Amino acid sequence: MKQKSIGFIAADIIYILMMTLPFLAAIVLKVLTTPLSDGVEITGARIFFTIPMPIQDLLVTEAQINSLCVMIALFGLCLFLTHGLRTRDISVRQHLAEWIVEKVDKLVNDSMGNYFMNFAPFIIAILGLSAFSSFTCLLGLFPPTSDINIVAGWAILVFILITYNKLKCGPVHYLKGFTEPVAFLAPINFISEFATPISMAFRHYGNVLSGSVISVLIATALQGLSNLLLGWLPGFLGEIPFLQVGLPAVLSIYFDVFSGGLQAFIFAMLTMMYVSDGFPMEEYFARKKAKEDKKSTLKQKTEVN
Amino acid sequence: MQNLDVISVNLWQILISLANLVILFLLVKKFLYKPVKKVLKQRQDEIEVQYTAAKQAEDQALKNKEQYEAKLTGAKDEADSIIKTAAETAKRRSEAIAAEAEEKATRILRQAEQDAALEREKAADGIKKEIIEVSSELSKKLIEREINTDDHKALIDSFIEEIGEGNE
Repeated sequence: MKQKSIGFIAADIIYILMMTLPFLAAIVLKVLTTPLSDGVEITGARIFFTIPMPIQDLLVTEAQINSLCVMIALFGLCLFLTHGLRTRDISVRQHLAEWIVEKVDKLVNDSMGNYFMNFAPFIIAILGLSAFSSFTCLLGLFPPTSDINIVAGWAILVFILITYNKLKCGPVHYLKGFTEPVAFLAPINFISEFATPISMAFRHYGNVLSGSVISVLIATALQGLSNLLLGWLPGFLGEIPFLQVGLPAVLSIYFDVFSGGLQAFIFAMLTMMYVSDGFPMEEYFARKKAKEDKKSTLKQKTEVN
Repeated sequence: MQNLDVISVNLWQILISLANLVILFLLVKKFLYKPVKKVLKQRQDEIEVQYTAAKQAEDQALKNKEQYEAKLTGAKDEADSIIKTAAETAKRRSEAIAAEAEEKATRILRQAEQDAALEREKAADGIKKEIIEVSSELSKKLIEREINTDDHKALIDSFIEEIGEGNE
């Protein structure tokens, strides 16, 4: 094993701090700002402060802050994984980085085709951001994905990408796409077009939120049950909700880890599917080829002249 | 401080959330996706380079092997030819040496014969000279004295004796 230089270790420590400190800060913030209450509360994100803006005030909420933390952590993770890349004797972290890149490349290639290979980093970003946003509730933080605004932002970006790819053959071809297969279905096609981002946003948001809601409900119910069954214990022992040990953890594994990961995967898969389905591949390449042929014939003509 | 309602739509919050996702997308692209892709590509390139190098080395090795095999058979032929030529040269040399030796021997023999002939001639010359000397001496003595028959006879005898003595 080669001796690592001090600079290398220092950089590693900075990256690891980048991955951990934001979450620590968010936890501290959460603990400081959450009032003590024992009632069942199912609310959105906590609003830290409001910045006046035109149209609508900008609310800086827990979801925004946590989302930012996840971004910083993911950035740190990227730097950490790609720190000290080599072509031989590769480290464990490089194995992981290569595994991620190769897997996502394969996924994109399989579901979108070779033309869309530059979507791979976007898919990595969306998978990472979505999954780790859902995982933040493992730390007791508010998961940004259970805020509709966060997920709607991503869905709108995906919608922009879909429309951009559909417009690659010109607006006429794009509008003509609405009249297929039959012309009178155009309004329905139009609605379904705009339903795509909404459905994506609500699917993701609803899954994560419902998980949180069920977790809270069961935790509260268990507390009540505990009070009822074990309330006779003397002193403060009676106030400890013993029944809350165990079951919420198992549910958290399902709702937070499994469901969060699954929703991230679904969101990424839907993105790839919609974008590649929307892209008029055959038409695009036919036009491209026609253009090139025209160009070459023009060239030949000018050469003849 | 109060809470939001469970469902409350706020335009600015939606816009901020949208912007957040865009920003996170850019961050992920810049700091995770691109670097990892780059490293993967680099590794791919390195592997390609190594594969080509290995292929080249293999080709080279095969070529070398063929060359060595060809060289080996060539060397065998060469060795055969070298041995053959060496044997021939040796044969030729030995023949030449033998011929030379024979020639030399003949020359020596001839020389010896010549020498012997010369010697014999020399000896004959010497005898002749002596005879002349003796005869001249004899004639001197004959001229010096009145020769009678007896004397003459005695003289000849003594002379012959003298010669005989001289010859002994």
